[in-house]
Amino acid sequence: MNPHLLATTSPTAELADVTLAYTGGAAVLQGLDWQLLPGQVVGLLGRNGAGKTTLLETLLGLREPQAGSVQIFGQPAARPDDAVRARIGYVPQQSDLFDSFTATQLLAYFRSFYPRWNETKAQGLLSRWDINPHQRIAKLSGGQQQRLSIIRALAHEPDLLVLDEPVASLDPAGRRDFLGELVSQVLERGTTVVFSTHILSDLERVAFHMAFMSGGRIALQAPLDELLEEVRQFSGSAAEVQALLQRLGAHSLKRTSLPAGRERVLARLPPGTRLPPGTPAEVVTLEDLFMELT
Amino acid sequence: MDDHFAFSIQTGSAAPIYRQLVEHVRRRVASGQIKAGDEIPSVRELALQLAVHPMTISKAYSLLEAEGLLERRRGLAMRVAPQHQRAQPAASRLELLRPALVRAAAEARQLQLPKPTVMKLFSDILDEDESR
Repeated sequence: MNPHLLATTSPTAELADVTLAYTGGAAVLQGLDWQLLPGQVVGLLGRNGAGKTTLLETLLGLREPQAGSVQIFGQPAARPDDAVRARIGYVPQQSDLFDSFTATQLLAYFRSFYPRWNETKAQGLLSRWDINPHQRIAKLSGGQQQRLSIIRALAHEPDLLVLDEPVASLDPAGRRDFLGELVSQVLERGTTVVFSTHILSDLERVAFHMAFMSGGRIALQAPLDELLEEVRQFSGSAAEVQALLQRLGAHSLKRTSLPAGRERVLARLPPGTRLPPGTPAEVVTLEDLFMELT
Repeated sequence: MDDHFAFSIQTGSAAPIYRQLVEHVRRRVASGQIKAGDEIPSVRELALQLAVHPMTISKAYSLLEAEGLLERRRGLAMRVAPQHQRAQPAASRLELLRPALVRAAAEARQLQLPKPTVMKLFSDILDEDESR
């Protein structure tokens, strides 16, 4: 096993009690706590407008919260030094590349900012991902621009990679290739990755941990394997369901009232629980978790 | 890497990916399609091939090792353990199918389908796969 993945030292990033509201609006982040450990690949899940982009921008120090602290590689995110900056790769939702540059010019420009730069990787990805290095960026397709933005973020071999909907305009083959590249980063460098997307199947593959965002907080973060094995959906009369959950020692995550005194409860069982046959509990998928927890 | 192991995974399932991999190897060993001494792909190879987090693969391999299906060798590829020389008898292979059928039976009862209808469907599905 890759030694990077086992080295859990200090967190790569840590947000504590972070609150952020835009002028005149309600709080988007509300007392949010979040921790990313080295080598973790975390899928960030939330409905549209839940504040995922705001959270990622706050994590990167691009937005200053009204309250709370944001640390990245042990430094305040708002004022990182050059060494910390060089360890971060970011693919924003809308990549703002310089339209009049060619891909080659763009990469040469960014290269000058970073002490480490893997030119072989950058060139390899350009040719594998079918980007003409001498064409002006304005002339590239949306998918090609997105891939170029990914290459830009990977070329300096970051220790933290933040991806905000990076695959929206990639076709399935392009997405698969990108996911393979992510896995290879994790294998080679033990990179910490945060990945927000609505394409759940992509997250299921590469993200070991899932973070569910709701109400301005990370409502739950856990390894997906554990959630699929421990979370069940119970339904029945409210009293029966409550008694059953108590007997099982289950921790309820989401409760929905149904007509006629019935309810549906999503609950997490203690690890290794074996349900007696006939227990009215349904297994769940990642999509079910997304629907209930975000 | 050859396609000997024919690993594949299904996303959107209630079964975690590591579990799918474990069950896949159990079935292929039980049927004798892979046997004692066959080397399995490294964590790295399989993670890249399936675009899956390497920890998911190593979790599956560790479980298979604990079950005695795979053996780990220092500095070498893991391989199928020596006691798995040939296919298991049909009776024990059938046992591997039981959990899936128990689930299917529970769903059939929920749907209140008559037994012959369900049996016919299963039989048709088996035939479909054969003609492929």
